[in-house]
Amino acid sequence: MINAVLVFNNNGQPRLTKFYTQLDTAVQQRLLTEIFALVSTRPNSACNFLPLPPLLANNAASKSASSQSDAPSLVTYRHYATLYFILISTSTESPLALLDLIQVFVEALDRLFENVCELDLIFNFETLHAVLGEMIVGGVVVETGLEKVVEGVRAQGRVAKRPVNESRGGAGIWAGR
Amino acid sequence: MFEKDLYQLIRGLRAHKGNEREYIQKALTECQREIKSQDMDQKGSALLKLVYLEMFGHDMSWAAFNVLEVMSSSKYLQKRVGYLAAVQSYRPDTDVLMLAENLLKKDLTSADKLIISLALGTIPHVINPPMANSLLTDLLPRLSHSHAAIRKKTIVTLYRLALVYPETLRPAWPKIKERLQDENEDPSVTAAIVNVVCELGWRRPQDFLPLAPRLFELLTAGTNNWMGIKIIKLFSALIPHEPRLIKKLLPPLTALIKSTPAMSLLYECINGIIQGGVLESVQGTTEGDEVARLCVDKLRGMLVLEGDPNLRYVALIAFAKITDSYTDLISANSDVILECIDDADISIRTRALDLATGMVNSMNLQAVVERLLRQLKTAGTASELDDPSNDRATHSAIVPMADDDEDGMQANLRRREQKSNQPPPLPTDFRQLVIERILEMCSKDMYGNMNDFEWYVGVLVDLVRQCPSGAQEGHESSLGQSVSSAIGAELLNVAIRVKAVRAEAAAAAQSLLMTERREYLFPPAGTGGNGVLFAAAFIAGEYAELLPDPAAVLTSLLHTSSGQLPAFSLTSYVQAIPKVLSVLTSDQQSPWTASRKTHTMLFTARIIHFLEPLTLHPNLDVQELAVEYLDLMRLASEASSNQPTEEDHVDYPEPPLLLTQAIPSLFIGMELNPVARSALRNVPPPEEMDLDIPLNSNLQMVLQKAEYEYELDDGDDEVYRLYHERSTINGKAFGAKPAADSLEPPGQGQSRSSSYQAEDLDEEAIERKKAERRERYRDDPFYIDSERNSGVNTPMHNILRDTNGGELDVDAIPVMQLKLDSSEMHSDVEKRKPKARPVSKPKKRFEIVSDETLGVEEARASPITSSSPAKSSALSRAKKNLLEVDSSGLSSLSLSDTGAVGPGASQHDFERRQAEEEEMAKAMKEVERLRLEMQRAQERIQPHNAPEEGMVVKRKKKKKKPKVEQPGDEEAAIATAAIAGIGTNEDENSPAGVKKKKMMMKRKSKASTGTSEKLDEDGKHWETEVPSKPKRKKKRSVALEDDG
Repeated sequence: MINAVLVFNNNGQPRLTKFYTQLDTAVQQRLLTEIFALVSTRPNSACNFLPLPPLLANNAASKSASSQSDAPSLVTYRHYATLYFILISTSTESPLALLDLIQVFVEALDRLFENVCELDLIFNFETLHAVLGEMIVGGVVVETGLEKVVEGVRAQGRVAKRPVNESRGGAGIWAGR
Repeated sequence: MFEKDLYQLIRGLRAHKGNEREYIQKALTECQREIKSQDMDQKGSALLKLVYLEMFGHDMSWAAFNVLEVMSSSKYLQKRVGYLAAVQSYRPDTDVLMLAENLLKKDLTSADKLIISLALGTIPHVINPPMANSLLTDLLPRLSHSHAAIRKKTIVTLYRLALVYPETLRPAWPKIKERLQDENEDPSVTAAIVNVVCELGWRRPQDFLPLAPRLFELLTAGTNNWMGIKIIKLFSALIPHEPRLIKKLLPPLTALIKSTPAMSLLYECINGIIQGGVLESVQGTTEGDEVARLCVDKLRGMLVLEGDPNLRYVALIAFAKITDSYTDLISANSDVILECIDDADISIRTRALDLATGMVNSMNLQAVVERLLRQLKTAGTASELDDPSNDRATHSAIVPMADDDEDGMQANLRRREQKSNQPPPLPTDFRQLVIERILEMCSKDMYGNMNDFEWYVGVLVDLVRQCPSGAQEGHESSLGQSVSSAIGAELLNVAIRVKAVRAEAAAAAQSLLMTERREYLFPPAGTGGNGVLFAAAFIAGEYAELLPDPAAVLTSLLHTSSGQLPAFSLTSYVQAIPKVLSVLTSDQQSPWTASRKTHTMLFTARIIHFLEPLTLHPNLDVQELAVEYLDLMRLASEASSNQPTEEDHVDYPEPPLLLTQAIPSLFIGMELNPVARSALRNVPPPEEMDLDIPLNSNLQMVLQKAEYEYELDDGDDEVYRLYHERSTINGKAFGAKPAADSLEPPGQGQSRSSSYQAEDLDEEAIERKKAERRERYRDDPFYIDSERNSGVNTPMHNILRDTNGGELDVDAIPVMQLKLDSSEMHSDVEKRKPKARPVSKPKKRFEIVSDETLGVEEARASPITSSSPAKSSALSRAKKNLLEVDSSGLSSLSLSDTGAVGPGASQHDFERRQAEEEEMAKAMKEVERLRLEMQRAQERIQPHNAPEEGMVVKRKKKKKKPKVEQPGDEEAAIATAAIAGIGTNEDENSPAGVKKKKMMMKRKSKASTGTSEKLDEDGKHWETEVPSKPKRKKKRSVALEDDG
């Protein structure tokens, strides 16, 4: 199953955190920093699988004996423009399929926002959660079809675009306040 | 201050660049205020802001109750915020969860599918065992909801229920199975079920075998690759339990491998074949070989495919799984695998390294190791700043930053960013891993693959230089030191086990110790290699006679910088110093010339100079050794200055006996052999040993006596005799050890014992006596009454004599008992350790000494080894991984026997629950009715001045108090109070009615939220009073605060 879904940008600023196991906020943040530290140093040519961050690797060694277990063993990521999408999962997930899953997630966002960019996600993080909720429930993938995901989110209400004046130059206006 | 919504919060954040922290603090305070507002819109937007800030690590657990309020809003958009907040912020110990339960139950039965979806999406995050049980009744009907989206989410939610409370799976499973078998079911629901079954499957595969036909059907229909992958994963868990599946599965799987355009499915087919153990079971048949070749060919294709590192990575993982069974196939592909060791990507390298470790044999070991060494040498070390653990991990928390790159933020996500393709410098932990793997590869099977130990010693020295620096505070002992001490241990191992290269090992130790080379070996970047010094110094001391240049080594050991070494290494240094000195000065043949005397005096003087400050060393071991050797050196210095040389016109200027006999005899003893880790455990405790009785009840007297003896010391020394006796026994017992035999050339044992003889003959030498006396004096506190224990106990004296004889002691203690079966032991060891015997090698033959152990090992070790896995599994059970969802409860839940005894009972249980629920509902209605009447009565009493909330509460309390004194619990009291309040009509209420209410009240948490809402419609001021539970009191107080 999938243990966590994280989205953060090139500076490690979180844009979405979803943990399918209840964790303390502080631990969540530590995990986030550890993963960001791992992911941010990787060249683009590198593969999309991360070694386990120290927080998760602690007792992974003892578990590796059996091929399957409940312990998260796979950290998959994809990097799109300014954002990193990360999935932490156990061995019951297929690594290559997870990469495709991230792709579906991003495509769904793209479909909903039309040329999605980081700003859309910052201002509509509820929608981000909604999209994820259509695809993954309780750590289990429930939908992989792009159309159905988009349809499911749209059924919940209109998806707002980012505020117009937030685009280029918009910052100036707000900075004046 | 104006209210802000999330938009404004984010904009504000972006505008307040530089002082975000401050801004956030302000925003949080505002939220705290706004969330208590009566205005649901304001509450909702405050909550949304909190959820946003929670993402950055600002705890919002304090708002748990407000979350619940927003969750129960009637507006969908507010409800959605509330549910999102619950998902993000509720923890298993959040106490309002009990109150949320009722709301969840209500929303699950909502007519709006969106609201059901919200509840379904939230339950997996907040579920706990008691909730699981009660939500089950509401979830099960959702399995047949008209919307596929609800059905599939329900299935997953049921799975999460089963994780926290496995029993819930019993009633749910038949329905899930029914959904799976239904051909007309929506394919996405089927896929979700397959996902869930796959999660459940690996815990109890045998229960899912009946599903195999349907799954097979789904697999061959091949409509959905995602589902195909999951089915294959599931099958790989089922195959070990149903071997017939292999035959059935092979054709479709091979067909898929050959035809599918989806790389992920292709890979999972291969992976499934490997993981399911298909290859092992069809090994040997033509079909099996064909499949194996097909898999390996495809994997090889993935490895060499340009431009897709992901495939390379997963292919290596798959390869790693078949290293044991298909060594030849792997070796055939070793070329491409080794390529991956040099891959730019650390993840791939790590995998390749793992694989290479399993792949090495005597033919390719050197090539692989050379390759790794080259990699270590050429790759740049990650600088301190680059090392992510150095800067990022020390970040205290993530602070939302104003984003400075507007353009970047608008970059389309579909486009991948271009970064430099430079391989990152090797991170420290990878370096460490490589070194560990090299050591592991080389030492595997007791050096079974090693052809050339001289080469290996050279590799070890090279590795020291590559040790990652662990120089940062706090990391010192954990990181670099540990890997370098592992190298040291290897060096020591080789020196001890492989006699043929002992000289090389000693030379290597010398090169490591030389201070002139320190700059080179231990680059200033770090002291990572320092851990090796312990072993190096030990080797230099133990095999001092093999050192190419003992004088230079002594100089290095005595270098002022040595005093700064960690205590651990320093003890080894201090031990080695007198050993090297004794090699330098003990020559008995050559005359005691003036120059020799000067040299000796110089050495001793320098040693004394080095040791003196160490007598005050904070580490006790160092201190003790320094004190001991300091005295010895002073004696030696004295002896050599007093000894006449030829200039003093002596006929034959003899060197002082202290130097030629006494000091060497301290160190030259039996050779140190490797002793098995378990050997000590196998030493049978002497029967008469009782650790509870004092060793010597009149220790004081003994001490006094010793003091007396010391003063009166004469030649007839009991200690000497004792020592003499023991040494011969030792020698014999030792000689009987098989490994020792193989180690020693025939002459040496003899020469050793003769040196013991000589020592005894020389007893009368004055200096020697003096030295012995001093030593004995030092031993006194430990000296054991020889009359009682002389045969069994090892006098401290003996230990001192074989200075590093820790291992020797193991042999020494049980000598008497073991002597008899020593011959059996010999053959035993031979039998058990066939690998330890030298393996025939094309080029050289090295004798590798195996661990010495005691004959009883088998009998004793077996219970220990059998118990240890259990222990470790228990340990790992206790230590749960961070993100892990523990599903172990499921493994004890059998699903296969549907309709049999087990489920029958639980079915009953389930029905009983349902009946209970109905009764509950009835009781609830009754209470509802009573409450309404109560309210009406109240209105009758105070029709004019409707009191404000606080007053009502007070009045209520007054009413309650006298009633509480009645027998029965508080609920009963309150119930009767309520009845009394309603008026005479209700006075006839039977005790049974009260009882019923009592029971109902116990279900307070469930009822409370619902009832309070209902009451809201009737009259707001009643809301806080009605529930009589403590929980409700809490709510009441909150409400009061709001007003205040």
